[in-house]
Amino acid sequence: MRAFRSLLVLAAVPAALAFKSQDFKTCSQSGFCRRGRALSARASESPSWRSPYSVDASSIALSSDQASFIAAVKSSIYPDVKFSLDVRIHDDGVVRVRMDEVDGLRKHYDEAASWALLDEPKVSQQVQWKVGKDGVSAVYGAKKDVEVKVAFEPLKVTLLRNGKEQVVLNNRGLLHMEHFRTKESVAKGKEGIAVPEEGLDIDDDAQVVLGAHPRTAWFEGEQEDSWWEETFNSFTDPKPRGPESLSVDIDFPNHGHVYGIPQHATRLDLPTTTGENAHYSDPYRLYNADVFEYLADSTTSLYGSIPFMHAHSADSTVAIFNAVGSDTFIDIGHPTAKSSTSHWISETGILDVFIFPGPTPADVFAQYTRLTGTPALPAHWALGYHQCRWNYVSSDDVRTVQKRFDEEDIPVDVFWLDIEYSEEHKYFIWDRKHFPDPVDMIKDVEAIGRHMVVIVDPHLKRTNDYPVYKQATELGILVKKGDGTTDYEGWCWSGSSAWVDFFNPGSWDWWKSLFKTESQGEQWSWVDSTVDTGIWNDMNEPSIFNGPEISMPRENIHYGGWEHRDLHNINGMLFHNLTSQAAMARTDPPKRPFVLTRSFYAGSQRFGAMWTGDNLGTWEHMAVGVKMVLANNIAGFSFAGSDVGGFFGNPEPEMLVRWYGVGIFSPFFRAHAHIDTKRREPFLLDEPYKGIVRDMLRLRYAMLPVWYTAFREASVTGLPVVRPHFVVFPQDENGFSLDDQFFVGGSGLLVKPVTRKGATEETVYLPAEDQVYYDYFNDYAYRSTSSKGKEITVSAELHQIPLFIRGGSIIPTRERPRRSSPLMKRDPFTLRVALSSDGSARGELYLDDGETFSHQQGQFVWREFAAEKPTKKSKGVRISSRDLAAQKPAEAVDHVALTTYDSSNAFAKDIADVRVEKIVVLGLPAKPSSVTIESGKELRWTYTPGVASSDKKGGTASVLVIRDPKLAITGDWSILVQA
Amino acid sequence: MHPWLLLLLPLHVLASKDRLLGVSPDLVARYVPTKKGSAETWQCLDGSKTIDWSSVNDDYCDCTDGTDEPGTSACPDSRFYCVNAGHIGSYIPSTRVRDGLCEPECCDGSDEPEGVCPNVCKQVGEEYRERVKAENKLRKTGSKIRSTYLAFAQKEKKRLEEEIASSAQEISAREKEVARLRDLVERTESLSAAALEEKKSSPLYQSLITHHAALKSLQREHKKHLERETALGEILDQLRTGYNPNYQDMAVLEAVRGWEQLAGLPHINDVGKEDENPDELGSDESEAASEEEQLEEGIWSTEQLEHQLDDLLATDYEGLLIEHDKHVGAPASPTSILFNLSAYLPDAVVPQYEALRDQLVSWLELLGLAQSKTDTAADTSKAQKTLGDAEHNLNLARREKEDKERELSRLFDPEWYGPDGEWKKLAGTCIEKESGDYVYEVCLFDEARQKPLKGGQTFSLGKFAEWNNAEGIEKGSPAYYSKQHYTRGAKCWNGPQRSVTLDMSCGLENAVLSVAELEKCEYEFKVTTPALCLPLSASDIKREEL
Repeated sequence: MRAFRSLLVLAAVPAALAFKSQDFKTCSQSGFCRRGRALSARASESPSWRSPYSVDASSIALSSDQASFIAAVKSSIYPDVKFSLDVRIHDDGVVRVRMDEVDGLRKHYDEAASWALLDEPKVSQQVQWKVGKDGVSAVYGAKKDVEVKVAFEPLKVTLLRNGKEQVVLNNRGLLHMEHFRTKESVAKGKEGIAVPEEGLDIDDDAQVVLGAHPRTAWFEGEQEDSWWEETFNSFTDPKPRGPESLSVDIDFPNHGHVYGIPQHATRLDLPTTTGENAHYSDPYRLYNADVFEYLADSTTSLYGSIPFMHAHSADSTVAIFNAVGSDTFIDIGHPTAKSSTSHWISETGILDVFIFPGPTPADVFAQYTRLTGTPALPAHWALGYHQCRWNYVSSDDVRTVQKRFDEEDIPVDVFWLDIEYSEEHKYFIWDRKHFPDPVDMIKDVEAIGRHMVVIVDPHLKRTNDYPVYKQATELGILVKKGDGTTDYEGWCWSGSSAWVDFFNPGSWDWWKSLFKTESQGEQWSWVDSTVDTGIWNDMNEPSIFNGPEISMPRENIHYGGWEHRDLHNINGMLFHNLTSQAAMARTDPPKRPFVLTRSFYAGSQRFGAMWTGDNLGTWEHMAVGVKMVLANNIAGFSFAGSDVGGFFGNPEPEMLVRWYGVGIFSPFFRAHAHIDTKRREPFLLDEPYKGIVRDMLRLRYAMLPVWYTAFREASVTGLPVVRPHFVVFPQDENGFSLDDQFFVGGSGLLVKPVTRKGATEETVYLPAEDQVYYDYFNDYAYRSTSSKGKEITVSAELHQIPLFIRGGSIIPTRERPRRSSPLMKRDPFTLRVALSSDGSARGELYLDDGETFSHQQGQFVWREFAAEKPTKKSKGVRISSRDLAAQKPAEAVDHVALTTYDSSNAFAKDIADVRVEKIVVLGLPAKPSSVTIESGKELRWTYTPGVASSDKKGGTASVLVIRDPKLAITGDWSILVQA
Repeated sequence: MHPWLLLLLPLHVLASKDRLLGVSPDLVARYVPTKKGSAETWQCLDGSKTIDWSSVNDDYCDCTDGTDEPGTSACPDSRFYCVNAGHIGSYIPSTRVRDGLCEPECCDGSDEPEGVCPNVCKQVGEEYRERVKAENKLRKTGSKIRSTYLAFAQKEKKRLEEEIASSAQEISAREKEVARLRDLVERTESLSAAALEEKKSSPLYQSLITHHAALKSLQREHKKHLERETALGEILDQLRTGYNPNYQDMAVLEAVRGWEQLAGLPHINDVGKEDENPDELGSDESEAASEEEQLEEGIWSTEQLEHQLDDLLATDYEGLLIEHDKHVGAPASPTSILFNLSAYLPDAVVPQYEALRDQLVSWLELLGLAQSKTDTAADTSKAQKTLGDAEHNLNLARREKEDKERELSRLFDPEWYGPDGEWKKLAGTCIEKESGDYVYEVCLFDEARQKPLKGGQTFSLGKFAEWNNAEGIEKGSPAYYSKQHYTRGAKCWNGPQRSVTLDMSCGLENAVLSVAELEKCEYEFKVTTPALCLPLSASDIKREEL
């Protein structure tokens, strides 16, 4: 959330000058990355290049279930070093490839997957490996169209579909697991090579078969580049374990687009870093870091890392997850427009790659989230508007801000407190001078159905009057220095600080106990909070002001003796995980926790929300924020957003208004601002800006049913909450690179937030299908075609957001503005039926109590709305409401497969009097003769003529408004609109 | 369950009296149906549409102006009127109708379905009347104090007017005196000009003038440097107390430590050091103290330089020249200078000079000048000094009068002490409040300050600039006097100049209730003052009796 070092006046300083690139390593400044890239360079220069790794065919051992095998792997350059390969096929067709050194001097870190994965995956019962002369293979899939081949010499793993290569591991022979060695055994009078100067990417001299070690030099290079020590800026990494990096190339010979590997401020369709005309010179980096004033277009690492990558073509989508927790660089290339390469260079860890066969994006999401978990279904209120600032300075300040929102009748659900609430940045401990009555303050906020979120960062002030630090010291659960025994000390907001080692199971129950709101006797706990208080976990990369790359020294020691470098990228997730558990443990039965994190890893989606960190108040950052949220969504972590308004700087009213336009279409919607900025809460705006923002916020609240329904779907299927074009229309090539417009869940809403200064119009791409798209606000019907889609230009004045309903969708909304979302729970619904070109439509609505886990016991309502022609030739339409939950109880909610559903459950009963107050039907071909409830009751309605959904031309659609049918939202019913 | 059963929702059957739910008394007359046969219709208040009377307050929004749903939340941005029998009626926005919360503004509970919110109007009304009573009492007492302010202003007016009148008299007397003295000086000057000019050619005098000029220049430069040093010191103090050690900017840290050493200040913001070396700070200071310079005899100290140099520079050199003549006696005639001058001349020119000198002396003797004594020059310079003093006093008197005139003009200026001069009493009154680690002080119409409790520099938070400057606030209105702005205070490190807004209300005492820094370096003081306790109007008193 914040800045360190200089506090520049942003208006006067170009963003490029503010980013401290010298604080963070490029590939050329990182020993293992230099080695990895040099390996790749040698390979591409040598026509006879061949991987030294091979499978010992004689060693193959199939497991009893036949779905996995293990085998010995040898490297021709180190014949004495032993490796083992473990390949298994899961019951959903996912292939897991693991390789580790056997009987080495030490152990490579092999626990990344255990933190990322939900459970130990089940191995398939059907698949059978066949051992051949040159390799092992298995054919599977419903149509037996998927084949996995493991070639012996050189080692190569290929996933094929219908004989076409989908994913090839070690295709280019870049697989290399540096084995552990002793310094003495390799030194032998040969001097280690110092760090080359910056900019020297590749060692020109390291040609094949030259120098003292001909057997290894052709592959590893002649130089022992940064094997035993590495200096960056003033920091020296002692690297006591020597070289242990991992390089692997994973190619997609038939996929021209790759997406994923967040977090980077770049396009969704990842630009290249290798090959001719590479877009970027440096590889994508995954090394969780607190990057001050990050660039809006760069491959530098940011706060979180998800080493999960989609490869996409019009034919199929596949993906890979490389379960590695260490510093990782990824080179991406497109040797041809229809193929992609990736080269993964990690500092430490075993090879543990999951290959997802797809073949559709939806399949990939199901496969990936089955492994790492679906996004947790958030508390309903967490989808409302979050108002944050560094800092609301006192209880009175919080109350005044709330009062101002209410005076202006602007909805808001959450007020946030940044670090200054705490006394000397001792989190949990209130600064009583400014917050004399914290619980009363929180209760004043909660009285309007709202919530407070309070920050708890991972750095503990080292002072014995801070019970949290004192207890952590006594429990011996702090991260240790490289010596493995001394508690590590670093600098952060709280000055001299220590960090809890959440990898240590001994910290878990203790951390959970801290959040208890009832007194725990001797044990300190946060009695000055409420059970509904949300938590914000910031700085959990971890950010350490005086550490290398503003983080923790890599040689620090965690539980189990692992070095920090092994698990750095997982560190933030563990803190988030434990805080989420702690928030849940406050009550019995538990309530859904809300915990926001800045740092994350694969699996973090199970624990709460994330945001894109300390962005800048610039148009570039506004635009890239949309792409970053999409990238996070397709990497399984849907509950994502960017700071509305930009963290740094003072956005002018136009920019702020547009940013709200972005925010209301973000899964996580929070405005936040740096301490040096002017206040910018919406009520401070002048007209017309204030009114526009109020209307935008009301639109977000009206659409909460759509968002919540999308989150239910994400929590069950893994499908993202906001979906880029390639996900929804995987065969429409025109959409593969689109990342500035997207769909909201499965609702059929297509939005393009405006992120350009002075815009009055926007062009919007309508996907290649014979379909009608209705302007959400004026009902204008646009036509697309199946051959090439359609680009349309629409008005986008400041008060306008290009928003469309895809024909064939039914959008449930709640149109009554309220002060906060919980106050809407008894409000009636409006259904917008947007008829498709063939005259039908469908939509979904999911509701539950929004705060407990009772939905997992069947306390929810899941409806399907459908509009169909009563008979094939009819010009009328029947609009009906059906119980989806009863049809598909097993697919209704996350984490449990219900066998039955009771439609008269207590929650459904509770909202039994919630009705549909209005139904709007767009695109009827003619004025109806009658509109009746199927039981016979005549309804009141009005009809405005216009173009029909089936028309070929565009124009304002016909609109039928059915007035207050008084139908229960929980009930089965149908309405007959007769031509 | 049979799906059909679900259709029968327990929707409230609205009796005709409910059609008037949420309608304010002044609009009740417009909520009547138009009858045409058996049909009852009603027109939206903006006339845009005619709807069934049964559609009024049926929880469905028909009218674009929202007027058909005064009693529900169906139409956004409309208003709901709570009757609040036993208390006073009030409006709430439609967004708060039927939202499950009992609005404090609707003590009759009419904003929620029956049975949800109890009617607490009796109690609320009583409390309200009590509160009004208390407020009125406060206002009454406060306005009494305020009336003393008004009286004070009147007294001030009288005092200032009198003083201005007497100043005017004094000025005219002084003007006459100055004119007389000027005349005297001019005459003296014309009498002795030639003689004085001659004396002034004395090399000693010339050298003295040169020294004077040099000393004056040095003093100017010295002052400049002192100012720069003070300014730099302030900047560094600000950096030292204001920098955030967490930003880890080494250049800043170096600068802070360097300054602390140079200025002999204790080391702050270093948690680690505090624990380890609690004694180090003291020894640093004593070292700095012992480093005091030993001055040569006769050499001026810093203090002397500061206070005595001006006096020295104000020396009347012409007077001195004459006095010098007297002091050295006969030889102190021009000739003595001429005689001694050879000592200062290069050897090569001495013979020629001696010849010339002898010639000159003989001429001088011939003319009788070299021996003659005169007091006219001394007279001139004394007269001039007297004139200077008189002119100075005149200017002081004029300035004093101007100040008083300005005070008088501000006295009833709405942009200063208000139309009734009620604020005059408070000009320069200082009130303060401890908050966090500081005491915040404001001296009204002057300056606001932040004084650290734990030692360190006091910062100006700004000087009085203006009353409420918000758009749409009418000058002289009560809202205008509810805020004061103090601007252009000390600059924040990497931030704006500090500023304060006083948010003022009626109270029996002049006091700061609270201080908040809502944005960095922008403060808000909540202040009470009797100056804002307006006397009760008839309607205020009526409010109490409701």
